[in-house]
Amino acid sequence: MSAVVVSSVTKTFNPGRPDEVVALSDVDLTVGDGEFVSLIGPSGCGKSTLLRLIADLIAPTTGTVTVAGKPAGVARKEQAYGIAFQQSGLFEWRTVLRNVELPLELRGLAKAERKAKAEEMLALVGLEEFAGHYPAQLSGGMQQRVAIARALAVQPPLLLMDEPFGALDEMTRERLQSELLAICAKTGTSTVFVTHSISEAVFLSDRVVVMSARPGRITASIPVGLPTRDEAARQSEHYFESVTAVRQALRGTPLKSAS
Amino acid sequence: MRRLLYVVLGLAVAVVLWEGYKAVGNPDGTVLFGVRILPRADDLSMPHLWNVLERLGRPELTGGRPVWIVVLQACLFTLGITAAGFVIGALVGLLLAVAMERFRIVERGLLPYVILSQTVPLVALAPLVAGWGGTIMPSWATVSVIAAYLAFFPVAVGMLRGLQSPSAAGVELMRSYAAGWWRTLVKLRFPASLPYLFPALRLAGAAAVVGAVVGEISTGTRGGIGRLIIEYSREATSDPAKVYTAMLGAALLGLVVAGLVSLLELPLMRHRRHVEVVTL
Repeated sequence: MSAVVVSSVTKTFNPGRPDEVVALSDVDLTVGDGEFVSLIGPSGCGKSTLLRLIADLIAPTTGTVTVAGKPAGVARKEQAYGIAFQQSGLFEWRTVLRNVELPLELRGLAKAERKAKAEEMLALVGLEEFAGHYPAQLSGGMQQRVAIARALAVQPPLLLMDEPFGALDEMTRERLQSELLAICAKTGTSTVFVTHSISEAVFLSDRVVVMSARPGRITASIPVGLPTRDEAARQSEHYFESVTAVRQALRGTPLKSAS
Repeated sequence: MRRLLYVVLGLAVAVVLWEGYKAVGNPDGTVLFGVRILPRADDLSMPHLWNVLERLGRPELTGGRPVWIVVLQACLFTLGITAAGFVIGALVGLLLAVAMERFRIVERGLLPYVILSQTVPLVALAPLVAGWGGTIMPSWATVSVIAAYLAFFPVAVGMLRGLQSPSAAGVELMRSYAAGWWRTLVKLRFPASLPYLFPALRLAGAAAVVGAVVGEISTGTRGGIGRLIIEYSREATSDPAKVYTAMLGAALLGLVVAGLVSLLELPLMRHRRHVEVVTL
């Protein structure tokens, strides 16, 4: 079964008004189980809108979205996905541990159980020593790691990420990319990852989905699948070829298949 | 310790200003083009501070209780009225804010009236409320109603802002957890609103004191500090220090209420203490 199926989805904001905007037009997207898919495109191409549709934070104007075989709304109510945004969105009045516990709390887990689970997730992102800190005491990169731990806390089969590393510096960003890949490999999570960085998309993804603006639509789907994801991979021929292929697709020039 | 020092310092400055003006000011006040721009500095208008303090120790009327006991008792009476008004006002304000946050239409429909409510002169309203005294509620409670009428406003407006303060990401996050309106309120909106609530409560505390003092005067309720100010001011020509003892009491009452309200926030604002950022 596919993790996500988006079929013939159109999203129009403010329909029938002078400020009507067609954010997405006739989008089809399938994300396989355990697949890592990046959405890339210029700003205004609707990549964040597409992610929000999958998360059922907004509803499509036409078309259907299924997550793990269920309508997106049902999947959301079952907490079938974890989500992380560009702003970590941590609750400043909760400690790091209690922030990670939040989704577990809303699921009604017992106190001891959710504490154990949250601690496990913090260990996964390497922040177990900071469980008792408040978010304001942590740097931006650490806050983002807490947000990822929180998204993973319910061990969802699907992870949705909206430019989670967008506000971070290059060094932190590359370290977190490797950490994210390790976590996804370990947990077998399918991932939809919105970014506007070509190198980030290519390094992380099994497949890069390229979108263009006005109206937002998918223009290309480029399989990448680097054999390894380490420092050497960032220097490999395969990596640069894929970067070129994605760049050409973004510019709209015709290209031959990169793989 | 340092805080106490500042308080003492502030008091000393006030004393120096008062006595200093009294020493150099014109006893008949400074009049410019027929307008008195500086107050009279004679003993009748501005008694020496030591006279006021000394008056506190002497009996209210010959053979009566000392003034300080009378003033203190009046303050306690008004404190009770203020506390009742503050609690009622804060609760009403909270409920209004929650309702306005929940329903856009309530916000649009109600908020203008909430603001309008504070432009109605209190003295016009007081006789209306005073009429309830002795029939549907004891007369001190009518004063509490007036205090609550002033106190609810800052809470309603401040709390509404606080409830609306969470970022879109926070709200979307709660939605992604399938949390409904109530759980979003309890887990997100309410804790996020605390930094807005406490300044609002402090304003409400001050407003409740003003409401109680003015309410006592305009409803003619006996026993409180507001009434005492009016009674003592009638003797201002023969005993100018006496009215200032009552005013001192009213000021003290305001300070006590402000102090009590700021005590409320101590346990709830722990995490907002000053902290160092860990960079790793």
